[in-house]
Amino acid sequence: MTPTILPHETTNQTSLEWRLYRDMLRTRLFEEALIRWEHEGKISAQTFPSKGQEAIAIGCCLALEKDDTVIPSFRTRGAMIAMGVSITEQLREFVHSPLAAGDSRDAPHHSSWPERGVMPGSTMIGGHLAMAAGLALAMQNEKQGGVSVAFFGDGTLGSGDLHETMHIAGTWKLPLILVCENNGWEMSTPWPKVRKTRSLIPYAEPFGFATRNVDGNDALDVYQAARWARATALSGQPVFLDCFTFRVGLYSSHFGEVRGGIENELAEWAERDPLKRMAGWLIEHSAASTDDLERLSQQEETRLEETFEEVLTERRKA
Amino acid sequence: MTTLSYRDAVAKALQDSMRDEPRLILIGQNLSSHAFKNLAKMYGAERVRDSSISESAMVGMAVGAAMKGMKVVVMIAYADIASVCHMAIVQSAAKLHYLTNGRLNCPVVIRLPIARFRGHGPEGNEVAASWFYNVPDLNIAMPGSANEAYWNFREALERKTPTLFFEDRSIHTRSGIVAESNPSGTAEITRSGDRLTIIAAGRTAALAEDAADELAKQGIRGAVEVVSLGFIKPLDKKTVLKAATKTGRVLIIQDEPVLAGYATYLRCLLDELPTGKLAFPPRIVAGADQYMPFWDERSFLPSVEAIIATTREMIEEK
Repeated sequence: MTPTILPHETTNQTSLEWRLYRDMLRTRLFEEALIRWEHEGKISAQTFPSKGQEAIAIGCCLALEKDDTVIPSFRTRGAMIAMGVSITEQLREFVHSPLAAGDSRDAPHHSSWPERGVMPGSTMIGGHLAMAAGLALAMQNEKQGGVSVAFFGDGTLGSGDLHETMHIAGTWKLPLILVCENNGWEMSTPWPKVRKTRSLIPYAEPFGFATRNVDGNDALDVYQAARWARATALSGQPVFLDCFTFRVGLYSSHFGEVRGGIENELAEWAERDPLKRMAGWLIEHSAASTDDLERLSQQEETRLEETFEEVLTERRKA
Repeated sequence: MTTLSYRDAVAKALQDSMRDEPRLILIGQNLSSHAFKNLAKMYGAERVRDSSISESAMVGMAVGAAMKGMKVVVMIAYADIASVCHMAIVQSAAKLHYLTNGRLNCPVVIRLPIARFRGHGPEGNEVAASWFYNVPDLNIAMPGSANEAYWNFREALERKTPTLFFEDRSIHTRSGIVAESNPSGTAEITRSGDRLTIIAAGRTAALAEDAADELAKQGIRGAVEVVSLGFIKPLDKKTVLKAATKTGRVLIIQDEPVLAGYATYLRCLLDELPTGKLAFPPRIVAGADQYMPFWDERSFLPSVEAIIATTREMIEEK
């Protein structure tokens, strides 16, 4: 099988599958490093790790094209990475480097790079969905062929803004893609305590959304779903992707693990780990060897530490 | 120069803005079928957007569209409804420019007609401006004349941060001259006098004019200087301080309770003047600190009679 070329790339030097793996790995290692650096007292920012959910952000964003925009949730670091924001640029916001594009004003999980299509999110759960619909409205009026994507957790079902946004976007046929990172937990509360169905599709469909169940731990499934979603949204129907996944990591670096009795689930979902699955695909299709992947991991780790030092130096010099 | 009613001045500002700004859109309820039929006919459904009753999402969408460089007027049915979209106004709209370190602007006008004296009761007769007085970067316009109604609106769309436009329906039929051009963000001296300065906004500026006319009839001519603020936030300190020190006696009128808002702020500002700049401490006539019953709103609000009585007291003070 020939590796797929990304829609916005002109050569196959970096195949889609390799990029999916690399960007997921980079996200995981970066978030692990952020937690480590925080515990070592080197940075003071709370991290909401996306461990186990990386395929959703990476698979979606690599399916996007020029002029598309995304609004990440507070747990979608991968969106920044896959939209091409470098670790250097992200770290500058964490440490208030003089070169931080956003001057470290927004919390680092909401940092934005508008020129790259990464728009500022909202700490108000659901508030960013209406903004994503507004971006889609502008795109519809300007007819430049862009789509607007917003990420959010399944707990957002409780927010009125989700329903208002779906209500209007469905009627106005906005080029909007809502991507639910459906991990089944609202912080420490399992979904059956706070809603009727695990899937959010029964809520999205009546508003006029095209919907799709997605294996949120399979980067290729997410990618294919996002390509379909993009075409569908541009043809005049907003899309709801319900990506089932599991948060293997902590709620946040401050709160730690807040779910009780999840040992079996953790073991089960470790088997479905998105990185493990993508690595399996690469090896099975001879697109990479175990050595290649090990080398990549070491390179990424080393590069992260070097980048952090560079950014700290940049700040010290200021 | 044209003479227009306050209501027509707002309508003209809207029409002229739509004509001059191809990337301006309107979002509101019942626009194309009722209030703005003509604009809808002229500019189409893409620019005159009929929305569902979803004020929070309407404001959120305006912010998203602004991220793509559009300008938006959000039509809210009446001022009390600002409470429904408080989150979107404060968190999404007002903070956009700041959070992105000035990389994104938010030229969004939220039109909030004040609907007192129409029998709406306590959930429909609020002014609501002081609720927002402590929100940085949020502009608040409260025009008191046709000229201000037109020019405050036009100017608001040129600003980098959003504006709440409090249009007072109770003075809709009052007419005035709309100038060909207007200096930006300035308060207007609507009447010159040498014994006492009244500072007011919106309906209270009109009341101050009426009070001055009545005082003239009572033989007190050329005594009262009236400053109509227009933008109550940020307000034109220079004009206010000049007019205040000119007479040395200052009366501030505010149509809301005095616990917050421009009246309280102006007193703080005047307190900072060097000793001797004002002959007497400034006084405030404000709304009562209570809700206004359906059967009688006027008893709890500033009136021409109260302004006259306080003016007389202050002028006679030795």
